[in-house]
Amino acid sequence: MRPMILLADGAGRYVSSGVIQISVTNLVIIAAMILVFVLALVLPFPGRHHQDSSDRDS
Amino acid sequence: MTTSTEHRRATRAGRPSTPDSHGFATRPYDLVKEFVVALIVVTLLTVGLAAAFSSPDEKAITMRDWANAAPNDVVATAAGELAGTTTSAGFGPPYNTAADGAALGPLKLQKWAGVTIPLDSAQDLVLIPLAGVTDNSALTDALAAWQSADADQRTQWASDYSDALAQAPDGNPDSVATGDYGPVPVIAAGFLTLANTGGLEGALTSSGNFYGGDQTKSLLLLADGAYLEDQARARNLGGDQWGMMNETGNYPGQPWMWLYTFWYQVPPFSTSENADALVWGLMMLLTLGLALVPFIPGLRSIPRWIPVHRIIWRDYYRDHPRR
Amino acid sequence: MTAVDTDQPPVATPTSWTARVRERISRIVPPGQALPDRQPAYMSSWIYVFGVLTLAALIVVVASGVVLALGGVTWWHVSSLGHFVNSLHLWSVELFFAFMVVHLWGKFWMAAWRGNRALTWMTGVVAFLGSIGTAFTGYLSQANFASQWISTQAKDGLNSVGVGAFFNVMNPAQMLLWHVVLLPLVLGVIVVLHVILVRRHGIVPPIDADEETAS
Repeated sequence: MRPMILLADGAGRYVSSGVIQISVTNLVIIAAMILVFVLALVLPFPGRHHQDSSDRDS
Repeated sequence: MTTSTEHRRATRAGRPSTPDSHGFATRPYDLVKEFVVALIVVTLLTVGLAAAFSSPDEKAITMRDWANAAPNDVVATAAGELAGTTTSAGFGPPYNTAADGAALGPLKLQKWAGVTIPLDSAQDLVLIPLAGVTDNSALTDALAAWQSADADQRTQWASDYSDALAQAPDGNPDSVATGDYGPVPVIAAGFLTLANTGGLEGALTSSGNFYGGDQTKSLLLLADGAYLEDQARARNLGGDQWGMMNETGNYPGQPWMWLYTFWYQVPPFSTSENADALVWGLMMLLTLGLALVPFIPGLRSIPRWIPVHRIIWRDYYRDHPRR
Repeated sequence: MTAVDTDQPPVATPTSWTARVRERISRIVPPGQALPDRQPAYMSSWIYVFGVLTLAALIVVVASGVVLALGGVTWWHVSSLGHFVNSLHLWSVELFFAFMVVHLWGKFWMAAWRGNRALTWMTGVVAFLGSIGTAFTGYLSQANFASQWISTQAKDGLNSVGVGAFFNVMNPAQMLLWHVVLLPLVLGVIVVLHVILVRRHGIVPPIDADEETAS
């Protein structure tokens, strides 16, 4: 039976500041969500000037 | 659609009521197509992410793994179970009545729920599995000596041995100071041997039945030792390491648990014995607050005060300037 | 019974249970609003796609879960195809939560509970919580190191409020069934209610909007 996995292999990358400690992956996910939210707010939604056309994609 | 302009009616409180959404200009929109596109997009994203990043699958720690990697911890845990000093032994409901458990002010929820998963740590986790070992006469004798001793004597032996182990260098049973520990050293050594054979989980889980499925005993035993937590903490999974949000390696964890785990990082929760109940209570309160936002004055007005909606509906506001 | 002309208008208070149920169902959503092919022109923002993205993600979660169920609990540990399906399940869950939270942010800043839509908001919050619970039982069902740690940690929190007495996170046989049967059923009902409410009340108008004159 092989010995247990070395601690370092399982640790993952983390960043910390004061009491806050977060994995790089989670941080990227949260940052991406905020970015997507902001983009969803500011990016123009197509179709504003085509209110009468019937075959618009979303 | 309405055919006349309606002034917004005021509610009794004087706030304008929201008009019916069906009274506004419309434009064509294909909901089903939107859904199909969304499904395709999500499927592609999922397949791409899964192919690129895969998913974690760190093997479970077996009792044999534990015995190989941290034998002293196994011995110390066995002694602790016999002494009644382990976490499970002193837990209280639902396992035993050794303690009342946590309370939320006057609400002793843990105690009121009762002992529904009865467990005698010494018997169920150590002695009963060992009773099945047949080829070790020293162990059999030691078990008999244990069973024939009274409760005080047992506690004395086991506590003294636990303390001695804690003081031995590296917790090594071979370096333990001499003393009267009765049959405990032999029992604990026999327990380590059983763990090494790979048969311990089976003895704990099946408990005489053919089919297992309930890992409670094995997990409680493992958690009574230090090794499981050591491995977890090395992977930033500890409670005071924001562990609830994290995953092994660099895999994505549970970012949505951020607020729940946050409280454990700060006083008074980080220093409280009662942290679990307190955090639960606080999160239930906050969750109720989230659900009742529509009814909470102030909170429900934040979207008005911080007008993010002016961006969302900028097209509408441009076409319908306020009078 | 005498033959009834089906073109006659229904009796004011039908006594037939079937007729009552039918009437009830037909009034849940205004006529034509269950799947309309038009929508209010003020819906002119990308923020509006996150509800349907969440729904789509949920479907991928369930579909990947169904494939995992076909193989059983141990399959994905020994099969590379199984492991890939597990990865699909994990990433669709991450996407599901990400889209759901962005959807929540959008709905908050739109104060989307206005106009008798409080129940829509509340079913959304309950769906969020139910999703967390469902995901939790999923993590417990992985049969690996993560399950060992999560279960032994979570038991402390759950026991502290008495829940652990009947919801034993260290019992995979119980947790798995909650994960694949009980919680998805409950969550499914909540999601259906939520979507029905959306269609029933329509999409909330902009803050301070007036109803318009006919175009």
